[in-house]
Amino acid sequence: MIKLNCPACGAEVEFRSKASVFSVCSFCRSTLVRQDMNLEKLGEMAELQDDLTPLQIGTKGQCDNEPFELVGRLRVAYDAGAWNEWYALSGDKEYWLSEAQGFYAFCRPVENSAGITRDSIFAGKSVYVDKLGMMDIDDARDVFCLYSEGELPFKAQLGRRSFSVDLSGPHLKMATIEITDSEVRIFKGRYLEFDEFNFQILRRIDGW
Amino acid sequence: MAGESDKPNLEREPEKPKPMARTFSCPGCGGNVVIRFPGAVLSCACEFCHVVIDVTDSNYRIIEGFFYKMKGYEPFVPLGTRAELKGKTWEVIGYMVRSDVASSYMWEEYLLFNPYYGFRWLTNNGKHWNFVTMIKDKPSETKLFSGAYVFSASLYERKFKLYYRGAAKVEFVTGEFYWKVKADSRVEMSDFVSPPYMLSCEQDKSEKVWSLSEYVSIDEIESAFKLEKPLPRPMNYAPNQPIADTKVSSQISRMLLGAFLLLLALQFWQVCYNPETVVYSDAQAYRPNDKNAPTYTTKTFELTRPVSGVKLSFRSDVDNSWLYLSGELVNDDTGETYPFGETVEYYSGYDGGESWSEGSRTVSKFISAVPKGKYYLNIDSESGDFRTQTPQQYSLAVSQGAQVNGNFWWVLAGLLVAPVLSWIVAYSADSIRWADSDYSPYRSSES
Repeated sequence: MIKLNCPACGAEVEFRSKASVFSVCSFCRSTLVRQDMNLEKLGEMAELQDDLTPLQIGTKGQCDNEPFELVGRLRVAYDAGAWNEWYALSGDKEYWLSEAQGFYAFCRPVENSAGITRDSIFAGKSVYVDKLGMMDIDDARDVFCLYSEGELPFKAQLGRRSFSVDLSGPHLKMATIEITDSEVRIFKGRYLEFDEFNFQILRRIDGW
Repeated sequence: MAGESDKPNLEREPEKPKPMARTFSCPGCGGNVVIRFPGAVLSCACEFCHVVIDVTDSNYRIIEGFFYKMKGYEPFVPLGTRAELKGKTWEVIGYMVRSDVASSYMWEEYLLFNPYYGFRWLTNNGKHWNFVTMIKDKPSETKLFSGAYVFSASLYERKFKLYYRGAAKVEFVTGEFYWKVKADSRVEMSDFVSPPYMLSCEQDKSEKVWSLSEYVSIDEIESAFKLEKPLPRPMNYAPNQPIADTKVSSQISRMLLGAFLLLLALQFWQVCYNPETVVYSDAQAYRPNDKNAPTYTTKTFELTRPVSGVKLSFRSDVDNSWLYLSGELVNDDTGETYPFGETVEYYSGYDGGESWSEGSRTVSKFISAVPKGKYYLNIDSESGDFRTQTPQQYSLAVSQGAQVNGNFWWVLAGLLVAPVLSWIVAYSADSIRWADSDYSPYRSSES
């Protein structure tokens, strides 16, 4: 763990993962970018309307007996909706927990993203994803970052644009592809029921 | 769920909790619009002028202005009502009336929300209720004619039969929704049934969404929502309504099968290993119209089976007269008696160009469960032939291992009553269930 101080307010900023290069100061909302032991302020994060997520930074859970903890969140929006991508750590291993309208998918980065480009993506088509086999493209859309908090492995400043592709296969298998100007990142995993994660340290939701 | 455990994180969230509900003026009519879950929904309908408002837009843009309130379509509980359904608490946040484009048939859909588990639907279709969950699973479709015609779908080894196919459109909405509701948004719908479940597929230009419905009884709805007034009851069967009530339960079916096999075994044993055999036969003369005819006592004979049915057969060549034989079968050792009284009568004649006859010259008496031992018969005779005084004769035979064949058939019929009745009820219910479908297996292809 790396502990640094926010250049804007001096509060302590933690980086649990060596891969994290971005953080939002939980006190002054400054968006910070890290280069080794240097923190630089990029801007400020907007406020987020309560999206009623039961998850929060610090929530613990498990998937296939592997415990994880949520350390960062990216809320992405498109013209007809928004969802959360939670950055999760299990030791050194990186995972993403995607949360949309009560659906939860747990996935991990795929190393080899060769061959997939934005031009090869069409809704209704199938794409081969590393070891998962052929996956159907359900959705492909331009999205932007609406909000971020905690630590993240890329610069998740407000308005960050990307092209997001949802894929699914049999037996609740899923994958997502995120294409930015500079890179193509692929994640594969599966959908799980909320109760299967055995979540702890959930956010309190008033009245529930 | 929260409680003590989220204390460590309070310092990470220094901002004060924001009030959840948001209130603003309707851009259409100026009325007060309250959104209960602003962060979780994308659009809401003004309860006064029914326009649909984009709640993610800072100016509360109207995205739909063409919904009109319809008579007879009101949410059965106020929006905001919570109920426990399928083990979890759900809040009713939206209400939608949809219709089949071809027939204009309408049904209601209630959007349910729980922040931990997301959204569900409760549908009211022809007074039948279903709890609907969107699924990420992809059922496999069985297709004919190179994919043009899908007639069944399977999910986890369960096969669902096509019940309905058509297009649906939104007629009216009120409340909050997790997407931007549009009036012109038509979807292609297919319903596949396997009671108590139904798989539904909704497809538009960009998406294909599957959902799984589970039939919910009206009693369950009434108690979940603590309704004081009962809900209207349907008169027909829903596509996925279980007909379990009338079905013979599997336990009873097993008992019936056991009884049937036992009956079959008994009958088999009776026919193959306990055949009817004559143990005594005799003939005796009698004098018609003799009031003082003596009682005839036979020789003793032996019944060798431990317990047996005994048949007494009498025959006499009576002609337009009767012979009444009565008396008892007597156990020589114990003195126990089995009384009988049988009439041999036979009449015939020629009347109006037709000959007729009535009665029989043989008659038999069945005595059940006679233990083994030495027996004899005491027989009194009385005759009604007034035309003659010459002695006549009757013959008699005693058989052991006798049985009443009818018993087997009666018991068999009795065993079949429940299964046959339940099959009739289930068959007719199932055909009624399919009566509204264009894909009924009960309809011949020509019609």
